[in-house]
Amino acid sequence: MNKIIVVNYDKCIGCKTCETVCSLMHEGRINPSESRINVVKYEDIGINIPAFCQKCEDPTCAAACPMDAIIVDDYLGTYVDSSRCIGCKMCILACPIGGVSLHPANKKIIMCDLCKGDPQCVKSCPEQALEYVDVGKLSIKKRREGLEKLAKFLEMAKI
Amino acid sequence: MNGYTNRILFVNINDNSVRIIPTEKYIEQFVGGRGIAVKLLYELTPKNVDPLSPENVLIFMTGPLTGTIVPSSGRIDVVSKSPQTNLLGGSNAGGFFGPELKYAGYDGIVVTGRASSRVYIDIYNDDVEIKSAENLSGKGVFDTVKVLRKSDEDAQVACIGPAGEKLVNLSGIAFSMRNYAARCGLGAVMGSKNLKAIAVRGTRGLDVAMPDQLKQMADEMRERIKATPSYKEFPEWHHKLFRVLEADAKTFFGNYDDTLWDGRFEAYENAEKFVKGAELKLQSCFGCPLRCWAYINVKNVRKASVVACQGTLTSIVNFAKIKDFNEVWEAYLLFQDMGLDVSGTSATIAFAMDLYSKGILSKTQVNTINLTFGDGNAFASLVEKIAGKESIGELLADGIKKASEKLGEAAKKLAVFAKGGQELWLMEIRPFKGVALSCAVTDSGSQNRATYGLCEFYYRSMKTQAETVARNIVGTEEAAQPTKYEYKPKLVAVYEDMHILADSLGVCSIPFMPVGLELWAKAYTASIGRETSPKALMNAAERIRTLERLFNIREGLTRRDDMIAERMFNEPLKEGPWKGEALDKGMFEKMIDEYYVLREWDSDGKPKPETLKRLGLEDICA
Repeated sequence: MNKIIVVNYDKCIGCKTCETVCSLMHEGRINPSESRINVVKYEDIGINIPAFCQKCEDPTCAAACPMDAIIVDDYLGTYVDSSRCIGCKMCILACPIGGVSLHPANKKIIMCDLCKGDPQCVKSCPEQALEYVDVGKLSIKKRREGLEKLAKFLEMAKI
Repeated sequence: MNGYTNRILFVNINDNSVRIIPTEKYIEQFVGGRGIAVKLLYELTPKNVDPLSPENVLIFMTGPLTGTIVPSSGRIDVVSKSPQTNLLGGSNAGGFFGPELKYAGYDGIVVTGRASSRVYIDIYNDDVEIKSAENLSGKGVFDTVKVLRKSDEDAQVACIGPAGEKLVNLSGIAFSMRNYAARCGLGAVMGSKNLKAIAVRGTRGLDVAMPDQLKQMADEMRERIKATPSYKEFPEWHHKLFRVLEADAKTFFGNYDDTLWDGRFEAYENAEKFVKGAELKLQSCFGCPLRCWAYINVKNVRKASVVACQGTLTSIVNFAKIKDFNEVWEAYLLFQDMGLDVSGTSATIAFAMDLYSKGILSKTQVNTINLTFGDGNAFASLVEKIAGKESIGELLADGIKKASEKLGEAAKKLAVFAKGGQELWLMEIRPFKGVALSCAVTDSGSQNRATYGLCEFYYRSMKTQAETVARNIVGTEEAAQPTKYEYKPKLVAVYEDMHILADSLGVCSIPFMPVGLELWAKAYTASIGRETSPKALMNAAERIRTLERLFNIREGLTRRDDMIAERMFNEPLKEGPWKGEALDKGMFEKMIDEYYVLREWDSDGKPKPETLKRLGLEDICA
């Protein structure tokens, strides 16, 4: 797998543009319930978390699927072959983060397919809260971001 | 059907009956949202309907762009006959309720009747149930939303607080935690129906005619919005709005008698310190890039995060001259929880403070509350008393005009209000002739529903932009100058029409003008799959505007009602950048004359028969 979508939680303004774009691109209509990405809101503490398939390296959804409907692709990670899906929902039960959902109309499983390598939610996010990042560079990116605080502290303390 | 769900939900809570009527027949003439709502109000209410009777209807209406992919499309319009003004009452709210309602399969909800005990409407797609809300009686907005979200955290809630239950005319309708249809006393209408809340959850979604084109337009619109000055400034408005008002010389303090209050800079600094010391999380309504509100988590003041809007906090400081921002914050939370209109109620309390300082209200009348400007505790206790209609709160609960009529001549002389007796929106209006005109002629509620963002607003801080807009609309940049009477009728009429279109299409009026009508019209076409044009939309706006007028005329409005409080005419500003400015009666009447001519109404403000014919309204006889 080359790239995954990464969320910068502190940037998300909760506008749900990603949901409408996703459903429009995949379903040709607008329906957050048909979107592969959903912004989960914790209004009491002011936090928005866009949730979607994290492209696990060892996907429990695929392991749980009795129909082999969840394909594990080297490039795109997990995605669903709808023609094989029987809507048994085993993958929903198996996914640890709720990254899989059931299409409300056709009752088949939907999950992020990275728009075949060109994720539209990332493009439409007005705050760049979503980024399409090279997996190999993910940890070094997070490391740099995380250590920025320490660097600032050291600079202040003149250590 | 594309863009619309083609279903309007009618709920009669007299007998819990529910029916659906198609939206389709209203679309061509009235577009959606505010337009269809006013048409329904006209059709469904008898002449001279008592606003708080079961015969009045409460209408929640989305537009064809609500919940679509176009930016800033989270709006819903709420319309009814207002108990505060006895005229058409409309207020528009953002958030997420409107889109959710459409995903459940409804363009709008019309509530008629009165339940025998307190109820709420629970909507999940096709399932519509009227359920007991006895356990929610007296509960604040925050708790009500929490309780109704227990079974489904994604449900969107419209509700009233204790103030609405008590039929306080200053009460609004809350949409989840923060977005309010605050003005015109719509909360009291909902309360009079014994309707505590509406909870909605929808998974049916929405069809659009040309998905690819719509997405392209949405991307372009988003970019245009991000290029506006508002986009850059909004994240800081929570504390900077004071400075913005000051820069545009719109500031006033107290009961409209103090322009240069010497405590103001300390108050601004306290606000800035407060916001900087808090944990701020910028938020937007559905589909909007503007981030014009935020969750503000203030440690040691109140642990739970609450959503705060920019303009409302400013109202409390300006009207009540409270310097301690912790007290402002507490009062704000109280307003939100009680379900009150922050600006109208703050204006009313400032009026009471003024009366008390002049001895017109006695110590016994105010229940020995130390009702002086700057006292945050006194302010907060008055908010509670108004919400509960207790003692002095009973007198003030219906706003400035009605309170002044009960208190006599001395109080009447100090009262400031706009058409129908509604409190003004937060700004000094004497130098701003366009805004003043709009306060008088508006037929649908608050002036900020008619001319929010009028180019004279920002003439001092962004002169070039204001002049460009003025030139584009009336052909001369002079029109942007606040104190000019000339050209203002045309400016006001065009802004009114733009607002009507934003509220009818179901999008926010803030980015409406910057994005441009051309693009909205294209998005409307892509959404519904039927050709439309800016010209056709402007024509619809004029029709809607005229119908709003016809409704008010049916309810007894005459030219004499197109007026604002006397003080704005006979009390010139004593200090500040606009020293000496007041409204001139003669010039003001001339503006009204011109405005009527532009609208093709007669000199009494009544639409002429040929105007009605041209707009296809001839069947509606005023």
